[in-house]
Amino acid sequence: MTHANPPHDPDSSGRSREQALADTFVMLADTLVDDYDVVELLDHLVDACVDVLGATAAGLLLDDQKGNLAVVASSSHEAQLLEVFVLQSNEGPCLECVRDGVAVTSANIDRDAERWPLFVPAALAAGFHAVVAVPLRLRNQRIGALSLFSNTPELPSVDDRRVAQALADVATIGILQQRAVHRSGLLAEQLQHALHSRVAIEQAKGLLAERNDVDMEAAFAALRAHARNNNLKLTEVALAVVRGELDPRTLPTRGTTG
Amino acid sequence: MRRALPWLHRPTVRVAPVDDSDRWARLLAGSAQEQADQPLRICQLCVETLGVSGAGIAMVTTTGNRGVVCATNDISARVEDLQLTLGEGPCIDAVESGAPVVVPDLDSPVGLATDRWPAFMEGASAAGVKAVFAFPLRVGAISVGVMDLYRDTVGDLSSSQLRGALLAADAAALAVLHLDLDGDEAFADSVDSRSTYQLQVHQATGMVMGQLNVTIEQAFLLLRARAFAEGRALADLATDVVARRVRFTPEDS
Repeated sequence: MTHANPPHDPDSSGRSREQALADTFVMLADTLVDDYDVVELLDHLVDACVDVLGATAAGLLLDDQKGNLAVVASSSHEAQLLEVFVLQSNEGPCLECVRDGVAVTSANIDRDAERWPLFVPAALAAGFHAVVAVPLRLRNQRIGALSLFSNTPELPSVDDRRVAQALADVATIGILQQRAVHRSGLLAEQLQHALHSRVAIEQAKGLLAERNDVDMEAAFAALRAHARNNNLKLTEVALAVVRGELDPRTLPTRGTTG
Repeated sequence: MRRALPWLHRPTVRVAPVDDSDRWARLLAGSAQEQADQPLRICQLCVETLGVSGAGIAMVTTTGNRGVVCATNDISARVEDLQLTLGEGPCIDAVESGAPVVVPDLDSPVGLATDRWPAFMEGASAAGVKAVFAFPLRVGAISVGVMDLYRDTVGDLSSSQLRGALLAADAAALAVLHLDLDGDEAFADSVDSRSTYQLQVHQATGMVMGQLNVTIEQAFLLLRARAFAEGRALADLATDVVARRVRFTPEDS
């Protein structure tokens, strides 16, 4: 996934880590003061975990308030496979992170087979050897977790983990739109909004992939490009496509069937 | 460029053991002749288990169907009717925003309910309604109506009551969708809240929509109907559709 509005040319090799970090937070701050799409913001955040913090993959899960965690953003296929396994096994770092509200780490997944007998083989099969999960929390409420996976058996530095927690905090603020949350209702309004936005985007991707004969990544890129070119929110574009108000064939396409 | 492959399998996980969802599934499973009563049964379950005074469901669909589907008592019916007639109130806002609208104290100046819905407030107060919880019946871009719970005393839903209400709204969305589109009632009871956030199910719904030139609502029911007919998990069929191993043809619709 690419940034819809990169703060500068994404020439990461030419930027110092500090510059990249500064650019990321400037971009996030810019987004938050504007009228933004929450799912797009969360996609930016997981991308930043990869681009700036050097994670191999990253994913963001939210409590759906029905007893499940749902993936709302993911940087790659591998992370998804893992989240999948978390579901099937009812165990793993993300689950513990949300349950306990504290960061959960494994610097060498290989050694945690007893702790997570189902998660560990799946993680290794996906090529991951270390994981850190940081909570999305607001005061005493835990609403989800941001998880960063690495293909080497080492954790991010302490500084990078602090940045990861800061990104998770930005995600929390972004989801809750900085509104005072002092009762379950308002939180429910925001969380359900984010979850259904992601669902609508996936529905639109499916229609686009079929109509334009492209893969899901190209379908998503087309939605994003149209939103950016016309200054619309990603979710609005998705709803317009699915409700027949916007012809998928008029969207910018590149790429082919995958 | 990193790969962003289709969402495979089941990207959801249980945070905690949820007895309620199993209980809801059990309670909602009914014989075929009871399916037409499904929305009312869902409302009655809300009253029995969520500490609310009444519950009602209104249909507001893209096909133009609009009206009160059911209500557990006269006050609930009044709450639904008022909002549909006046075009204002928590349920109208829930349909428009696509997110729950929770008003634990209608008289509280914090919620500004009187400013937001002056005409509705008048009628609701006269009927003795003190709190309203409106849940849109929604699956992404699919939107079929709203479920309203009310209380004759002030008070918020607890987190477990909220969980029950959200699960009830999922079940109600499916039931109302069947009513609206005259769907096959045989599988209308297959409530599975976990499939709601299996994202490949929603991608597949979009693909079926494109393959058959039907609405998203019809595609959603057709996908479920085929999974039911083939005795497969919805997520498994969806994975095949997304991978283009399975296509829907007009004979399927």
